[in-house]
Amino acid sequence: MTDTEKGQWDATAQGAARLALARRRRRFRLPEETGVIVALIVMIAVIGLAKPRFLNPINLFTVLGNTTFQGMLSLGMVFLLAIREIDLSVGWMFNFSAVVAALLMVAGLNPWFAMIAGIAFGALLGLVNGLLAISLRLPSIIVTLGTFSMFEGLALVINNGRAINPPNPTSTYFTLISAKIFGVVPIVAIVFVSLAVILHFALHHTRFGYRVQAVGSNPDAALLAGIPNALVRLQTLVLMGAIAGLSGSLYVGFRGAIDPQEGSDFVLTVIAAVIIGGTPLSGGYGTVFGAMVGMLIIQAIASGIIFFGIDATWSTFVTGAVIIVAVVLDQVVKYHRLRRAAAQRFLDG
Amino acid sequence: MAPLVSVRDLRKRYGGVTALDGLSLDVDRGVIHAVVGENGAGKSTLMKALAGVVQPDSGRILLEGQEVMIDSPAAARGRGVGIVYQELSLFPQRSVLANLFVNREPLRRGLVSTQAMREMSRELIERLGLHVDVDAPLSRLSIGEQQLVELARVLLEEPRLLILDEPNSALNERDTERLFAVLRQLRERGVTMLYVSHRLEEVFAISDRITVTRNGKDVTTRDRKGLTISEVIDGMIGAHPEDMFPPPLRSRKTGKPEELIVRSVSGGELGNVHFSARSGEIVGLAGLEGAGVSSLLNILFGAHKARSGDAVYPDGRGLPRSATEAARRGVCLVPADRRRNGLMLDRSILFNISHVVIGALNKSPLFSISEARSRASRQIARLRIKTRSPDTFVNHLSGGNQQKVVIGKWLEAEPRVILLDDPTRGVDIGAKREIYELIRGMSADGRIILFSSTELPELIGLCDRILVLYRGRLVGEVVAGSIDNHTLLHLINTGERPHRTASVPQ
Repeated sequence: MTDTEKGQWDATAQGAARLALARRRRRFRLPEETGVIVALIVMIAVIGLAKPRFLNPINLFTVLGNTTFQGMLSLGMVFLLAIREIDLSVGWMFNFSAVVAALLMVAGLNPWFAMIAGIAFGALLGLVNGLLAISLRLPSIIVTLGTFSMFEGLALVINNGRAINPPNPTSTYFTLISAKIFGVVPIVAIVFVSLAVILHFALHHTRFGYRVQAVGSNPDAALLAGIPNALVRLQTLVLMGAIAGLSGSLYVGFRGAIDPQEGSDFVLTVIAAVIIGGTPLSGGYGTVFGAMVGMLIIQAIASGIIFFGIDATWSTFVTGAVIIVAVVLDQVVKYHRLRRAAAQRFLDG
Repeated sequence: MAPLVSVRDLRKRYGGVTALDGLSLDVDRGVIHAVVGENGAGKSTLMKALAGVVQPDSGRILLEGQEVMIDSPAAARGRGVGIVYQELSLFPQRSVLANLFVNREPLRRGLVSTQAMREMSRELIERLGLHVDVDAPLSRLSIGEQQLVELARVLLEEPRLLILDEPNSALNERDTERLFAVLRQLRERGVTMLYVSHRLEEVFAISDRITVTRNGKDVTTRDRKGLTISEVIDGMIGAHPEDMFPPPLRSRKTGKPEELIVRSVSGGELGNVHFSARSGEIVGLAGLEGAGVSSLLNILFGAHKARSGDAVYPDGRGLPRSATEAARRGVCLVPADRRRNGLMLDRSILFNISHVVIGALNKSPLFSISEARSRASRQIARLRIKTRSPDTFVNHLSGGNQQKVVIGKWLEAEPRVILLDDPTRGVDIGAKREIYELIRGMSADGRIILFSSTELPELIGLCDRILVLYRGRLVGEVVAGSIDNHTLLHLINTGERPHRTASVPQ
């Protein structure tokens, strides 16, 4: 049968019925994040059954609040993995921006302006990463391996290796950012979730997000479709920096200080959250909500282990094991989906 | 005595495409036997069957009269069949010696011995005239020398049958001469060679016997002596169905025609090419691999830089400096390798159709899925893409439908200049016809179309004018209707018209 004949056949009642079926199937398809969300709920339920105190809303929201700062970084990292890049310097961009924002507050700048300056400074650090990667034609993993230490070094130079404590911790900035709505829901958690909603929209419903996925899916084809690959890579790295700046500035407001080593161990947790969430390392696709849930899973493990009275150092080990389980499960699901698609194609002939 | 290799009635289908359709062949000992044919004639599949890379659906392969099963590359090697592929399969970072002994490194006292490699390969390297430092990384060698290393690697296994799959496609004239000298020397030593190529000049220079293939069958096998290039060309072309090509459509365009003028453009293999093309005209581009056709299209699209020369596009401006600029100025390229350069296979039709409109143009900062869906539905209907929904992944489509997605994504951007780089390669015959109709339609809409192809009937059946490139130069510009397959193929292969007819206009 030629394609034309098949086209005509498809137009018959049978074809129409099949199209309707396909449409219905699409409507009922579960979101990609279903798996991790179920995993998170199961995990909370299991810990809650054994230790009901864990289910206390105050505790659950504290868990959410604690994930905020690394969680925001993981949301930005989704864009980087989706475009087949990675940023190893996120932890120090976070720290460096926080130090700069805190020092500006010490110098007497209004904390709100200092926060905006912190975000801008983070974006600047991202711009440095991006310009290095693009002008020197280096993969971002190499560039950010270098800037990881460069940003660390510079941050240590300007804070003299000591924690920075902005004065006047009773100003509205500090009280508001460390506040809890109804004494339960931390403001920073709301900022975190809002950022996830905004970035989800950016990834799936904007030109920028479309380009990120296109370049990550096939850079050669993207280039030959006229997509400005270099510009999109640069924008993604700047976005990552700005998010690190936001996270760092909020951290200063939340804790009222920034320690010289805060952020040094963030990067692996951040990448782990993105991968647990279901964003593949191979690029082309990403899930912002997945990364958020991934970070919650890591945090739930950490605090669950404390509830069970196990030595907290075990949580690192368990987190590692969860990454492996998550990736294996993801592969199993993908394999079955592929098998189904192949069978379907065979039936379509 | 039985021939060294006999192939009997070999058949192979890939999905809906027939690659081998009952091909038979005898190769005698100690000769260089060439297999020629157009793209898709079945040459490569035959070689792969002999090398154990693909399994034929039916048919027999006999070595010295004994029927054999060659079900893996290792089995082929075990039976004394060695193959040198068109693409080098070497390790550029490793030394010449390491490349010669991949996976069969000689051991001494349990350790890999470079000394043993040196001793085992010295004589052969000498004989091939490969005067290079064998400890240097391969990447320091010229392409010609690398080709000899690849040959040496196969020869170290002392094959009874040596298969060469377009070994000279990347070589310049001097390196080709050197390779041929080596091959003649090997023939003196009794090595039997099967030589696949579509460069007829070179086939005639090196081979003793020639088999012409067409549509997966062997058309004729004869001694080179007494055979002419013309006869071979006739065999390669055969008769093609006339109604394959839809007639030109009446122009639907109003307003004055637009023009693309290319002036003395050089870059890549391309040297000093100039021509012009008008809207409503389909201009064909013909040439062997490496003759500069792809370079020309890439330069016109802004994907490659021109060394010199310039152009005037319908918008009055010059060569685009990037693909992004080209897309925004209404210039589109359908690349030759659609799976690598044209599509995102793991994404939906909907996503792929949006490439240019969302990816390249700066119209709206938002990506509306409902708009993307209607774009995709529009092109699915217009191009008759056979699929159940716009959400189908592109790698689930057939080659022809994939190509329509590539064309569709560009049509959404309403291009003025359309560059098509061999758009029907690997497409089944029904979809080919539909693509021809599409090209006719785009031409009637007043778009400027440059169409490259490796299939002559396509160029002659579809184009108004054909530009022939040979080794980077424009050697001929022929008006369709005034040229037959034969003259065109001759021009493509030799850069000259057959001597009987008029000389080449420059």
